[in-house]
Amino acid sequence: MAGRLGHGDGPLNTPRWLNWAWLLPAAFLAVFLAYPLGVLGAHVSSAGGAERLIASSTWQVVPLAVLQAMASTLMALIVGLPIANVVSRYDFRGRALGQALVTVPFVLPTVVVALAFRALLGPGVPQGFALVVLAHAYVNLAVVVRIVGSQWSQHDGHYENVARTLGATRWTAFRTVTLPMLRPAISSSAAVVFIFSFSSLGIVLLLGDSSTRTLESQILRQTSVLLDFPGAAASAIVQLVLVAGVLAAGTLAGRTSVRRRMRPTSLLPVPAGGSARWAVTATALFSYAIVAAPIAALVVASVRSAGGWSLDWWLRLGSVDVGTTRIGSPLAALGTSIGFALVCALVACVVGGLAAVAVLTRGRTRVISLLAIIPLGISSATLGLGTLLAFGRPPLDLRPSGLLVPIAHSLVAVPLVVAVVAPALRATDARALAVAASLGARPTRAFVTAYGSILRVVMLASAGLACAVSLGEFGAASFLTRAGSPTVPVQIVRLLSRPGEQSYGVAAVLAVVLVALTLTMVLLVDRLGPSRRRPAVAT
Amino acid sequence: MIPSRLATVDLAIGYPGHVVAEHIDLAVAPGEIVAILGPSGSGKSTLLTTLAGVTPALGGRILVDGIDVTRVPIHRRGIGIIFQEPLLFPHLDVVANVSYGLRRQGLSRPEALARSRELLDWLGLDGYERRSIDELSGGQAQRVALARALAPHPAVLLLDEPLSALDVELRQRLASDVAATLRREGVGALHVTHDLAEATMVAHRVLSMSDIALPSRSSLH
Repeated sequence: MAGRLGHGDGPLNTPRWLNWAWLLPAAFLAVFLAYPLGVLGAHVSSAGGAERLIASSTWQVVPLAVLQAMASTLMALIVGLPIANVVSRYDFRGRALGQALVTVPFVLPTVVVALAFRALLGPGVPQGFALVVLAHAYVNLAVVVRIVGSQWSQHDGHYENVARTLGATRWTAFRTVTLPMLRPAISSSAAVVFIFSFSSLGIVLLLGDSSTRTLESQILRQTSVLLDFPGAAASAIVQLVLVAGVLAAGTLAGRTSVRRRMRPTSLLPVPAGGSARWAVTATALFSYAIVAAPIAALVVASVRSAGGWSLDWWLRLGSVDVGTTRIGSPLAALGTSIGFALVCALVACVVGGLAAVAVLTRGRTRVISLLAIIPLGISSATLGLGTLLAFGRPPLDLRPSGLLVPIAHSLVAVPLVVAVVAPALRATDARALAVAASLGARPTRAFVTAYGSILRVVMLASAGLACAVSLGEFGAASFLTRAGSPTVPVQIVRLLSRPGEQSYGVAAVLAVVLVALTLTMVLLVDRLGPSRRRPAVAT
Repeated sequence: MIPSRLATVDLAIGYPGHVVAEHIDLAVAPGEIVAILGPSGSGKSTLLTTLAGVTPALGGRILVDGIDVTRVPIHRRGIGIIFQEPLLFPHLDVVANVSYGLRRQGLSRPEALARSRELLDWLGLDGYERRSIDELSGGQAQRVALARALAPHPAVLLLDEPLSALDVELRQRLASDVAATLRREGVGALHVTHDLAEATMVAHRVLSMSDIALPSRSSLH
């Protein structure tokens, strides 16, 4: 087995400090995750406990959020399934581009997506349920296409041929054979889309109305408008429980049957003629168009003013008068965001990296690499509120230090860093460690020889990922940002809450810059990521 | 003369721009099993998918019980198919797999169940109706696939090396069961394989691809 010697005993000759690598991530998670969640729980129990949870106004929001999330999930499936079918099964020019394109909406900041939809559909389209559902489907397209597509690409088409020789029409064969066989993948992706839509914040704030409230927006409202902290904490706990329930149900439904013939992934030729060829081509073009249209509309909005083309908004990026003194200049927000992103990348790489190298140790300390994944299941508003309650109020008010936002962002990024680094380390041939040691290298030197080159690459990729996450994150930042120095997503929301063409134009410019920065980071991750590298193979 | 359940007249098979074999003339009588031998790449599987309607014929005619089905869609040809793998639908239990075709023909659930049970009993699978397909052995799964293909009374059954994945003893037992079942149902069968032993085990007549077809000019080059 590549990566370890001695069947699970852990590699021989590892440096001693590796056995203590778990300490820092454990301390970080204890202080910045467990403690804030504990404070959150204490707030609820101190203010009436169970009654607070039951009587909470939160429960009026839950049905609205469930309905919205169900509609968003259905819409994402309706749009995503045909695209998954075409880009994962047929061989045509532009297929790789199509696959990359559908991933773009998922990595864009939600605030940017919301603004792009406003730009695309124009001011005449009323905000509310339909718009929120469309935007959620857009963001989550990649979830459906990637998860269902990977199973569909291995599905043996002879199952449908058998069904058809038994008398099923093309549609009946799809309905009674293909769909049920893809059900595990469809359920898993549906659970993920449901959770994302159910705990959505940026899109709901910018495109929604009173019919589309989510627990996230409720938590924000209870905190910043009603100043009802125990109520917000109750909402956060209800959300945690519901999300965990949906995740568990999705995992259960995602289990697959053993007796299922998988075909090695090989692409089908596009059908030679007739309606099938037309359908494949139309779906491919449609997928390009729906992904590109909102982004194109955003770029156009950034260069339109007073009915004509101009670079006015771009030129005003640095001027303070675009914002009020309270908002600050857009360029300053950009500086703040980039600064936060760099701190977040540093913290997440150190904490996540140490949690990931724990997979190389023997014994129980390896558990830290699993524990570090937990923040992924906790919504950003919950993280933001917990951090605010624990560290943002007297007696311990760390807000002036400006560190709370990057710390909250690091919590979001650490699981992703572990997910990138740990598999790469596991796939590296550990025998280099023994070889280096046999040549006289001390343990640390041998460790660097064996893992140094892969670590350099995956840590750089992780840093890019952490930067992308931090640049686009809105939920936690909206709780923790200080009034005078907002991040770009917070700045965009503030600008949009003010009337006037100028606010809208400058918000569009900021969004375009954010798109460019995020895509650069994601491209960097894609070029450096472990999937592009061939793991060292034991011979 | 006994009318053929399946016949081809001057059939050409292949893909657009690539003829695999042409001038194919063959006939299969009721209850008869004809084996077609040929090395891989000779067009055996293409012949089956063309007869079933999965791959369009490039020329010539396909007749089922004397009726030209060359342009008839797959689901109305009355031709069943069994592949090397049983390809049982994993989300359905044994009896639901066997009933699948009957339900598509509009039979009520009880009618479909009765016919499915009868076939399963005949094949020695009584008591397996409600089993999940994950619980079947390889031989049992292939028997269920046979029952499923025969349930809707096809005129012809196409067999694409259905025994090759089984061990020798099981192959012999299943081969004689397949032959007996096809005779009982009066179904004509076309069995393609590259394995002479498998062909002689099942078939009444063994032909080679070169007996029934002229290789296309393009494949001679």
